[in-house]
Amino acid sequence: LLLVAWSAWGETRPKYGGTLRVEARQAIESPDPPALGRGMPDLAGPFNITLWESGRRAVFEANDGAPGGRPFLDRVEITMGRALREQSLDLELARADIVELGPADLRRQVAGRKVWSSAPVRVLALVFSAKVEDARVREALALAVDRAAIHTVLLQRQGEVSGALLPEWLSGFAFTFPAATDLPHARTLAVGARPLMLGVEDAALRPIADRIALNARDAGLSVAFGASFDVRLVELRVISLDPARALIAMAAALGLPEPARADTPQALYAAEHALLEGFRVIPLIHLPDVYGAGPRVHGAPGISPLGEWRFENLWLEGGRP
Amino acid sequence: MTFRTRLLLVFTVAVVAAVGIVELLVVGNTRQTFERMEAQRVDVLTRQFRKEFERRGREIVRTVNAIAGSEAAVQLAANPDPARWYEEAGQLAATRGLDLLEFVAGDGAIVSSAEWPTRYGYKEDWLVPGPASATGGDWKLPGAFLRREELPTGMTLALVGVGVATAGDRTAYIVGGQQLDRDFLSTLVLPEGMRVLLYRNLDPPQLIDAKGPAAGADALKPLVDQVRASRRDASRTVGAGADAETFHALALAGSDEDVLGVLLIGSSRRALAELESSLLWNGIAVAAAGILVGIAVSWWASSRITRPVHRLAESAGKVAAGDWNASVEISTGDEIGQLARAFNRMTGELVAQRERLVQAERVAAWRELARRLAHELKNPLFPLQITVENMQRARERYPEQFDEVFREGSATLLAELAQLKQIVGRFSDFAKMPAPEMQSVDLNGLVRDTLKFFEPQLAQAGVRAEVQLGSGQPLPYGRGSLGDAQTSRDREGAVPALEVQADQEQLSRALRNLVLNAIDAMPQGGTLTMRTRGLNGGARLEVSDTGQGLTPEECARLFTPYYTTKTHGTGLGLAIVQSVVSDHGGRISVESEKGRGSTFRIELGTHAEATNGTSTVGR
Repeated sequence: LLLVAWSAWGETRPKYGGTLRVEARQAIESPDPPALGRGMPDLAGPFNITLWESGRRAVFEANDGAPGGRPFLDRVEITMGRALREQSLDLELARADIVELGPADLRRQVAGRKVWSSAPVRVLALVFSAKVEDARVREALALAVDRAAIHTVLLQRQGEVSGALLPEWLSGFAFTFPAATDLPHARTLAVGARPLMLGVEDAALRPIADRIALNARDAGLSVAFGASFDVRLVELRVISLDPARALIAMAAALGLPEPARADTPQALYAAEHALLEGFRVIPLIHLPDVYGAGPRVHGAPGISPLGEWRFENLWLEGGRP
Repeated sequence: MTFRTRLLLVFTVAVVAAVGIVELLVVGNTRQTFERMEAQRVDVLTRQFRKEFERRGREIVRTVNAIAGSEAAVQLAANPDPARWYEEAGQLAATRGLDLLEFVAGDGAIVSSAEWPTRYGYKEDWLVPGPASATGGDWKLPGAFLRREELPTGMTLALVGVGVATAGDRTAYIVGGQQLDRDFLSTLVLPEGMRVLLYRNLDPPQLIDAKGPAAGADALKPLVDQVRASRRDASRTVGAGADAETFHALALAGSDEDVLGVLLIGSSRRALAELESSLLWNGIAVAAAGILVGIAVSWWASSRITRPVHRLAESAGKVAAGDWNASVEISTGDEIGQLARAFNRMTGELVAQRERLVQAERVAAWRELARRLAHELKNPLFPLQITVENMQRARERYPEQFDEVFREGSATLLAELAQLKQIVGRFSDFAKMPAPEMQSVDLNGLVRDTLKFFEPQLAQAGVRAEVQLGSGQPLPYGRGSLGDAQTSRDREGAVPALEVQADQEQLSRALRNLVLNAIDAMPQGGTLTMRTRGLNGGARLEVSDTGQGLTPEECARLFTPYYTTKTHGTGLGLAIVQSVVSDHGGRISVESEKGRGSTFRIELGTHAEATNGTSTVGR
């Protein structure tokens, strides 16, 4: 029994060493490694960057002098610009240890795969350009989109349907912003509307855009895809646990007027309401960051509730005892 | 039109007509053969299309039924959650070779769609039992059928099959199919010169071929409309000439009998047009060669035929010119030979008749001459006889008066003998008519002398004389130094000379005969006009009277010897005039109108035409 217990404890005991292979969809094209934002900047401290190939690859080495102690991992190699489908295959074929998962990957059951999901820290939204001056058309599209169908099928129930920019877990009043579909009203608003061009900044969002176009057609809006867009489907990130700061950052990212600094929930609600009034921005769904980890990755979840990388606590099977 | 031209024309028309008829027959048969072959090729292609259509339909139905019979389909029927099945239709369609594949829940909601993945949740009401269903919801019996399907890129036409999966009391529909598009058309093996188009009755309508969108939809629209309206196959030729194309249209109906597509099998008529063109040019070449041969043959034939005719015509011309001995050489025994023999016989008879006629005329002339002589001689002979008998009777019965009777009788005998001598002299003159001795003669002077010679007779006959000498104006004659006559010399001081080469004596005799003739023509008096006029190298003399004139018949016989319209005379005067003029190389003619006088015109030393008048006789 002692031997069995010792063996079992030995398998679960963290080990040092090994290289964690991480793949990311985003290809950061910059001369220097990013210092701010999510992902690689989170590794600063426990790890030191030793190689930077812009848009392709980055290598981080364990920092022996890290404040919290040396990470178990010797090295983290990050491959950038990998499509979700390729990442999923690499994970299944053990060519990667941590990958981003898309909705399609969540539908498939993969043996030994661990799924780490953050809180809903991203928001999908439609943003109208200044060319679309008719608020009735913007409202018609907002009322036509069937968020629930997108959330259920295309996003495999990840995240939550919302009509607000700030997620419910951050603001507490997101549910008060309407997100229901009202096709009859949308049809009345869409009468006489000219065709809209819809832009999609990320190819992974194309199915969602297709569904939005289909919903828009039900409301009598003609939506096509093109580079010279009237409205675009974008993804925003909650960058702060402070809702006011997060809202200001979102407004800045969307090119909207900066909301007033809100110190109270009422003020924050008013600020967000003011941003959404006029339907220049139509929030659709809040999404979490979802990662898949291979079977040899052990340790606590490698991401925080905000989706930050926490690789210093991870260790790899087969590392040094 | 000559016989040769006519023969050539007939031959050309015959060749062209024959070649044309042959051309028409050949072209007609060629066209029939071509169209029969085209019909066969269209039939083969139609059967090929239908076979491929049915094969694909069976394959689709079999695939769809296989999917519907799978465990996954049962699970689908039991749990039609789009979140679970979202990508399944697309993956399965790719592995099963289907363009279209949809999983549809029992309520008609799309669970998963290969062709339009994001269309999940939308209803396909035509599948479920109800008014919109094409089969009442029973999809076990129907095979594949045509249907309009909507894709994100637009409408399309597809051959679809429906399978049904059940899990307990739950139902799911599997709708699979293949587009009827250019890929489908590219599977058809087309003979050379044929092509296949597919009209897809969509919104907007599409016309495609194996390479993609096809041109010419406007030209084919009437045919397509005809097929859609009648729901039956039809044919029509589009275009013209070598670009013409015959299209056979097959109606492709959907499950509700609506014509959703029209298969257009086009057969180019270029080959036929080129063949017809080749036949046409060959026909033209043959016709041209035939015409050339026809020209040669007609030339040869016409030469063979017309040569004796020409000879015949030449002989006839000779006969007409007076050569009565002309004959035609007979070398053939055909109709032309018979004609030549008849001609020779005719000319022979004409010669014989002419000789007989000449003989008869000669006899008649002698008889006329004898009659005239007898008549002329009988008149003076009778007084001679009476005078001699008186003289004999006076000597026998009245000797005392014989001397006086003898004296009177001798005078009478001498007078009558002089008359006889004169008569004999005239005949002698006419018989003699010596050759003229040409010398320069003033015609105007001769006219004047002649009028002067006849002044007494003119005055006695009450005839007024006028002369127009040279280009002078008419002047009254009969006043002035020449008695009552006046000439242009009298008025202008000199008679213009009009010199001609003539025998003055003979010409003077001729003028006197004409003047005498004119005086005789005006027994009641009248006007005698004599005109002279210089001509190119000669002169013209006209003697006109205002007498009773002559009939055309009289004009025709006027210069015949011994012919006269008068009760006295020998009928030799005008014959002498004509003889003199003829001996001078001139010509004489007469113009006369009954009741309005006559004009005798003599032209000497010139070849000018005689003036035609009411009645003209000339030689």
